[in-house]
Amino acid sequence: MTEFNDLFIKYKDLITIAVYGTAIMLILIGLYAVLLKKHLVKIVIGLSIIDAGVHLLFVAVGYIQNSTAPIFSPGNEYAAPKMVDPVPQALVLTAIVIGFAVTALALSLVIRLYKHHHTANIDQIKSLKW
Amino acid sequence: MVISPVHYIVAPLLAAFAIPLLTKLYKDAARLVPGIVLFYNVVISFELMQQVLKNGIINEVIAGWKPPWGINLVLTPFTAFLTTMVSVLGFTIWLYGFRFKRTLKGGVVKYYEILQMMMIAGSIGVIITGDLFNMFVFIEIVGITAYSLTAFYRERNGAEAGFKYLLIGSLASTFLLLAILIIYTQTGTLNMAQIAERMGSVPQSMKITALIFFLIALGIEAEMFPLNAWAPDAYEQAPSPTSATFAAVVSIAGVYALVRVLFTLFDVSGVHNYLIVMGFITMLVAEIAAITQKNLKRMLAYSSIGQVGLVLIAFGIGSKLAVFGAIFLMLNHAVIKSLLFMTGSYFIYNSDDKRLVGLNGMHKQLPYVSALFSLAAFAIVGFPPFSGFWSKFYILISASNQKMMYLIIGILLVTIIELVYYLRAVGRIYFAKEEMDDVAHKPSLNALVAMSFLALFIIIVGIYPDIITGYLSDAASSLLDKMHYVQQILGSK
Amino acid sequence: MNSLAITLIILFAGSILTFGLDTINRKLTGWAAFAILIFTAIYFYGTEHNSDFTFHVGGVTLKWGFSQLRLIFINIILILSVLSLLYSIDYMKDKARLGYFYASFIMTVLGMMGVVLSKDFVSLFIFWEIMTWSSFLLIIYNAYYKIKTEGLKYMVFSAIGAYAMLTAIVFIYHYYGTFDMATAIEKGVFSFENHSFIPIFFALGFAIKAAVMPFHVWAPSGYANSPMSFTAVFSGAMSKMGIFGLLLVFTTYYVSHTPGGYVFAQVLAWMGGITAVMGTIYALIQTDAKKLLAYSSIAQLGYIVTALSTGTKLGVMAALFLAVLHAAFKGALFMVAGAVERQAGTTDMTAISGLIRRMPWTFFVALVSVISLAGVPPLGGFIGKWLLYEALITESHNYFLVIVIFFSSTAAFLYAYRFLFGLFLGQEEKETKNVKEAPLTMLIPMLILSIVSIVTGAMPGLIFKPAAEAMQTIGFSSMDWQMSVLSNVWGNNVDMSVIGSFISIVFVLIFVFLTFKGRKTTRRVGTKDISSSGELWKEGENWTFQQDFFKPFERAAAPFYKLKMNNIWEDLGNALEAFFNFSRRIYTGNGQTYAMYVVGFLVLLILFRDYIFR
Repeated sequence: MTEFNDLFIKYKDLITIAVYGTAIMLILIGLYAVLLKKHLVKIVIGLSIIDAGVHLLFVAVGYIQNSTAPIFSPGNEYAAPKMVDPVPQALVLTAIVIGFAVTALALSLVIRLYKHHHTANIDQIKSLKW
Repeated sequence: MVISPVHYIVAPLLAAFAIPLLTKLYKDAARLVPGIVLFYNVVISFELMQQVLKNGIINEVIAGWKPPWGINLVLTPFTAFLTTMVSVLGFTIWLYGFRFKRTLKGGVVKYYEILQMMMIAGSIGVIITGDLFNMFVFIEIVGITAYSLTAFYRERNGAEAGFKYLLIGSLASTFLLLAILIIYTQTGTLNMAQIAERMGSVPQSMKITALIFFLIALGIEAEMFPLNAWAPDAYEQAPSPTSATFAAVVSIAGVYALVRVLFTLFDVSGVHNYLIVMGFITMLVAEIAAITQKNLKRMLAYSSIGQVGLVLIAFGIGSKLAVFGAIFLMLNHAVIKSLLFMTGSYFIYNSDDKRLVGLNGMHKQLPYVSALFSLAAFAIVGFPPFSGFWSKFYILISASNQKMMYLIIGILLVTIIELVYYLRAVGRIYFAKEEMDDVAHKPSLNALVAMSFLALFIIIVGIYPDIITGYLSDAASSLLDKMHYVQQILGSK
Repeated sequence: MNSLAITLIILFAGSILTFGLDTINRKLTGWAAFAILIFTAIYFYGTEHNSDFTFHVGGVTLKWGFSQLRLIFINIILILSVLSLLYSIDYMKDKARLGYFYASFIMTVLGMMGVVLSKDFVSLFIFWEIMTWSSFLLIIYNAYYKIKTEGLKYMVFSAIGAYAMLTAIVFIYHYYGTFDMATAIEKGVFSFENHSFIPIFFALGFAIKAAVMPFHVWAPSGYANSPMSFTAVFSGAMSKMGIFGLLLVFTTYYVSHTPGGYVFAQVLAWMGGITAVMGTIYALIQTDAKKLLAYSSIAQLGYIVTALSTGTKLGVMAALFLAVLHAAFKGALFMVAGAVERQAGTTDMTAISGLIRRMPWTFFVALVSVISLAGVPPLGGFIGKWLLYEALITESHNYFLVIVIFFSSTAAFLYAYRFLFGLFLGQEEKETKNVKEAPLTMLIPMLILSIVSIVTGAMPGLIFKPAAEAMQTIGFSSMDWQMSVLSNVWGNNVDMSVIGSFISIVFVLIFVFLTFKGRKTTRRVGTKDISSSGELWKEGENWTFQQDFFKPFERAAAPFYKLKMNNIWEDLGNALEAFFNFSRRIYTGNGQTYAMYVVGFLVLLILFRDYIFR
């Protein structure tokens, strides 16, 4: 375990970049799916991927090097300076729940759309326009 | 019992979860409970507004965690005014839709009422919260309920409209989260008052990036061009009381969120010009799209977007008189557009035709509803002596104080476009000949009461606007007085 | 409470009352509306209006007041509306939506009264808009499909005018800090020296209401298509609101003759002149009596505009005189057209003729009004024209304009005669054999209006007196006038009452003579009983000269008829609509495109952030 920690400290910049990079990549991949994929389910997946990226970004922002989880426990009352920021994590939890609800609703709408139009191609679902 | 702003949110949410249980006991609970809750909201909102005007800002701390640590609910004269307005309209719309779909089985009505009530509660939450992330949560509550309500009818194209709304709305929530993230990393807080206080030390580039994300995310909620493409579909496909709610409650909350963020959090110059330009484009494009519409509700939807555009212009002008006019216009828009959707819904119900053609000769079947529709059409165009005139008048005066002559001419030219399509509709109702059966679906008593109440409001405010200008003026100065807001909230640590 | 406010409240309440009454008792609606207007008139004339009414609302002080200038226009409005409403009772009897009609009618009267009474710009605008929308409701009354574009045309033009006024009003508040008319005029709002867009915008609003070319497009069909009982008020009184407004705009110019004002007055005078000529020329070729009268109205208002833009004492007097007279004779003529329409079923001058035998009283009214309209002595119209010529020649020395006015006034004979001939003279058609005289309630208002024309011809002082007093309130020095003697700078004194009574006696004698002679000796032939001289004709074809009445003239003036302002405006409207229809396609209906808009807009904002948010 200590070896891992050393490794971690050694490449901390790299890891930070990797985490942020992953988050931004996820957002871009999701946007790609939302904007260019024609299949409704793929669009919904894209939305979820964007969400995941944003959530990751949140957690990454709240992370502090070498710190512990933000839990106060007996014998650990004065550890606050060594904890990661708890607020983003709380926010992410909320956001995940919301994202879940939206995805569920979106998929149910997709099913309804498929039944109605017999296609899942978003280009062909435009009976409401202008 | 001490009345507190928490009741606004707690009561509807509690009721929403209780309704499925209560319907087991009493079949019509799904219909009645929302009315009781919304009426309760109306009562406390008037009470709280009196308190706010007398004693200043009410800062309600949730769970004993004082700001900036905890979440707080803030009632300034501005938010108190908006909550009152939203509550009253929410109640009126409930009253109008009381017998909505009573032929269907209880279940459907149950879902409708729950969603509708939660949408109104969420909108109130957006308005009264003092915490940025909390605002995001409430926007999501409004969003999810709104998507569901848009897709409420299975047989229509509701799913399509709902999906488009959801797609754009999810993008909005993503951008909103990103904006909140940037703000949080830079200021280390989510409390709006504290953010406002610390905003001065934030680097300009970060500030502007956050601002842009806010503008996009909240611009979508506020139906700003080109982010508003979801709106016509949603307004068109939702059940008519819901369309009225979109116009009267949801769009008001969206505009509020945008304005609160821009006016309280940020002090970036250029935002005002941005609002004026984008507001004008929003208005112009919406009215252009409205004039050639064949579908009644879609036409009303575009008209709503146009009104919101004018509201944004007025906020963009930014002087006290302009903000005053903007809030007045928000009120007028909410009242008049709800009335238009309510009356319009009866035309559709009677003619079984969603197109404008369905209006033909309707005055014979529905004389009273036709008169109300014409009244509302005249009011929204801004003919005196109806309330719409005054808001437009104040906005124009404030624009003239900034010497924006071209803006004034532009607004008035767009108003002429608006006038053309509304008067066409009125002409259809009264003068088009249409063969139709004489059996009319007369409006039920509750709907008549709701509609007459709104019409009466339009006329009374139109003839004597002073009955509300006092509140509006307080609301406008409270929005513009950022320092007071910050001090009141952080001072009560 | 103030008497002016009460007057307006009575009208407002009356309007709502009549709307409700229709659902209870259809027959009573008309009489109730009439009673309300009579009551208003009695109340208004029976009360002293010595104090202004001020009312603070919405941060604005509304101020309504009374003056001699206003009194002239109030007289026009109230008397004409009362008479038209009396006329309406029988005219509208068989039509639908009576409550709608009478409520809008009274609301229009309220709007006009308010416009005239208001002493501040905000209430002027408020009442102006009330007047506009309520009259719009009446214009579209007849048939939606036929005139939906026409009603909208009226509304769009009115709105352009009203919004031009509104723009000017908010800028008046910005520059001068007041909405009060008197204060603002004192500070030089209408002086054309600085911010001269303000008076121009105001004048635009008023000129549109007065149907000055090229903004007259709404007027012909607007006048011709609304119910005739309303058109009498519409053309007789409501177009005078434009005149009233122009008088306001010119008040500074009347007193101080500013150079900017001079240019503007010249432009407006010429616009008035051109309106008079074009209106007359178009009136000539109309075959529908209502359309003819509508164009004639436009032309007559052209005279008035010219007269008041001379800026001289005589000119303004002429304008006021013509305004009153035009209300009288044009109101009567539209009523005549309405009576013919109701009794004979149409006002197409090629289809009916010879109604003089069936409707002698209507004919008498038409005759008197037409004489007055054409400006033939001894009736009132002549006095107005006389004053106008005198003002143009002796005071403003605008000889070209004299020629223009003279031309149009002469040509007015032609259409005036055609109106008379087409409907009343000539041979009788078989179809009109059973036509009866209009009912009494329709005849009485017409007769009263023709008496106005006759009496003012003999005693023009009846109008000179209030007009002279009115002109003093807008800054002119007091004026000499006599009850029935016209005098001029060349030293002529013409006693109108002597001439008037002489001509009347001769006229009556000839009339009686012709009637008796005609009864005995004429051989009755139908219009389709034609002995042709070389021309081929079909059975049942009407070849009397009701057809192609002014063919030669029409040929001569053909180039004029190609100038159709209407087409230009309509093309503009259609082009706009097509453009709108095209541009709303940005809402493609594809959800993904909308998402692209969002992301694209985001990228745009980020790219141009330095330019947008500094």
